[in-house]
Amino acid sequence: MAATDPGEDRTTRSGALGALMQAALALPILAVAARAGAAEVGEIGITTLGYKERGLMKVTEPVLWGRVQLAEVWEIEASGAVDIVTGASPELVTNLSGKPVQSVTGASINDRRTTGDVKVTRRFGDYALAASTARSNEEDYHSKSWAVEGRVDLNQRNTTLVASYGESHDHVGSSIDPTLNAPRDTREYLFGVTQILSPLDIVESTLTYSRGHGDYNDPYKLTLTFYPDQVLPTLLPDTRPDHRDMLAWLTRYRRHFPASDATLQAEYRYFHDDWGITAHTLEVGWEQRMGEHWAVRPGLRYYTQNAADFYAPVIPRPTPSVLSSDQRLGAFGGLSPSLRVTWRGGDGWKVEGTAGYVQDSASFRLGGNGSEAFATLRAVYGILTVSRAF
Amino acid sequence: MGLHRYAFHAMAATNEVQVHAPDRPRAEAMAARAIEEVRRIEAKYSRYRPDSIVSRINAAAGAGPVAVDTETAQLLDYADACWRQSGGLFDATSGVLRRVWRFEAGRRPPTDAELATVLALIGWDRVERANGTVRLPVAGMELDFGGFGKEYAVDRAALVLREAGATSALVNLAGDLAILGEQPGGEPWRVAVQHPRREATALATLPVASGAIATSGDYERYLEADGVRHCHVLDPRTGRSARGFQSVTVHAPSCLVAGSASTIAMLEGHEAGLAWLEALGLPHLCVLSDGTLVDRFAPLSRG
Repeated sequence: MAATDPGEDRTTRSGALGALMQAALALPILAVAARAGAAEVGEIGITTLGYKERGLMKVTEPVLWGRVQLAEVWEIEASGAVDIVTGASPELVTNLSGKPVQSVTGASINDRRTTGDVKVTRRFGDYALAASTARSNEEDYHSKSWAVEGRVDLNQRNTTLVASYGESHDHVGSSIDPTLNAPRDTREYLFGVTQILSPLDIVESTLTYSRGHGDYNDPYKLTLTFYPDQVLPTLLPDTRPDHRDMLAWLTRYRRHFPASDATLQAEYRYFHDDWGITAHTLEVGWEQRMGEHWAVRPGLRYYTQNAADFYAPVIPRPTPSVLSSDQRLGAFGGLSPSLRVTWRGGDGWKVEGTAGYVQDSASFRLGGNGSEAFATLRAVYGILTVSRAF
Repeated sequence: MGLHRYAFHAMAATNEVQVHAPDRPRAEAMAARAIEEVRRIEAKYSRYRPDSIVSRINAAAGAGPVAVDTETAQLLDYADACWRQSGGLFDATSGVLRRVWRFEAGRRPPTDAELATVLALIGWDRVERANGTVRLPVAGMELDFGGFGKEYAVDRAALVLREAGATSALVNLAGDLAILGEQPGGEPWRVAVQHPRREATALATLPVASGAIATSGDYERYLEADGVRHCHVLDPRTGRSARGFQSVTVHAPSCLVAGSASTIAMLEGHEAGLAWLEALGLPHLCVLSDGTLVDRFAPLSRG
């Protein structure tokens, strides 16, 4: 139909707005009358994690966490959790069968860990200062830490610089040696840059250097070595250096692909410490949104490290002053695929579930020549978070 | 929560999305979706892309009907409502006037004879719309979404931001903008309105917590001949430039409505235009041709 005389519908001027609004509202816009005062100023959620590997099972009771912003310039984040670890932890590496193998001793451990942390941020325009503290207590391990952080936004907030300093003061105990109460102190320095490259991609790079001294020994790790020419085997407790300096460089890149409504997430972490360990981690994830409510994120992480200078599954002769047979200090590599599914409902509700598989083995080390005594680790884990923004 | 700003180029202008979000990745994801929506609308309704629905309708002028999708049909319904409410001043077929007007320094306005050749091709009432199709009956007729496409894109981008979870955001396409919610802390956004005669100077700064702001003016594209300014807002009946206002800024619940209200006011001229705006009941801020400021923004928004 062709339009008719324009004047005939122009009944009254006061009806004009109604007519225009009615016509506008027929369009898929509805951007009218935005919810007043509904600015998202906080979020609260619970997270639970389950982990299972051969002989070790870990389930956390739900971690309750929250974040609230007050008057735009203050932000408070806090969380608290109780973990229960059940299973067998003491490990002995012995060459009784001819070659060194890791065996689990009969002792069983049930431990309960309570943790809590709080961080307060005050924003001053393009600057922000934050202070945080955390506590963690287990029967055999107590940790207290605090940190201060400064942040500045430059270049119309396209660039953010962050620097922080933190200290952590830990005490290592042992359920099999009640007299053990060894301190360990760490200082950590962090410097980071976040740069928005375009509306679609962002890169973040963080350098962390930490210096620690104190007791690093694992009271549950023992090394038992039989020598062909010696009647009695030599048993050595875990004896590590009393200091550890670590350098970690983490770079993250994210790119959004609007056409496919997806985000590529890639990160690389370089790690080096003065125990002689150099490690590389590469993780790639693809977050794919599927309609208004759902998103899936398949991810794959690869990890590789060489052995610490003092790692040995068999005690050399003469007995060295530092030695550990803890296979986490050996040379190995790991692959970990994971899948995360997110559902976002109305009113700020979000449910997120992640399932992953971890396999660490000597043959996965870059180049393939991991430590011979490394016992392949296979584990599955799941994480479930329910949160609500308000 | 922090304010994240993303500038981007689309529709031959520099535009911006601002969003308050708890972290940068979320802000970035929301802004990217809004920008993508603007680009989608630009591509769909561009006269410059031969494959756009507008180009296909125009190419078929004088020939057969062209099927249109629901969104396009609804936009044409909106254009129809504007034509009816404006007494024919708002006409989506008036884009052909561009063929005889060149808004460049040193150009002269077209002669009556030149105008007559294109005025014959204008007339929304001659556009045939039925059963999801559109037909321009005369070869050379053109549909032009320029009068409402950008405003529609502003509304759509704001909706996309809201659907992506934004509760405080701003979409600004070359000065036409939509606002989604107050800023954190309950503060309204401060919208600077361009002064029509002083470059890069604000005429006023308006506090806006929701809805949209659109401005029509005689200062963006115009030519001057013999001391008379001829602006790009053209009356479809005469083919001549609107007179009476230097600029008209309107606050409405939707940018589409704000944009057509301000354009129609420009075309109505000083007295009829002010009466039109007053009858609509929408807050507005106008500068008359003689430089007089008419501020009827205050009662509703500055309370």
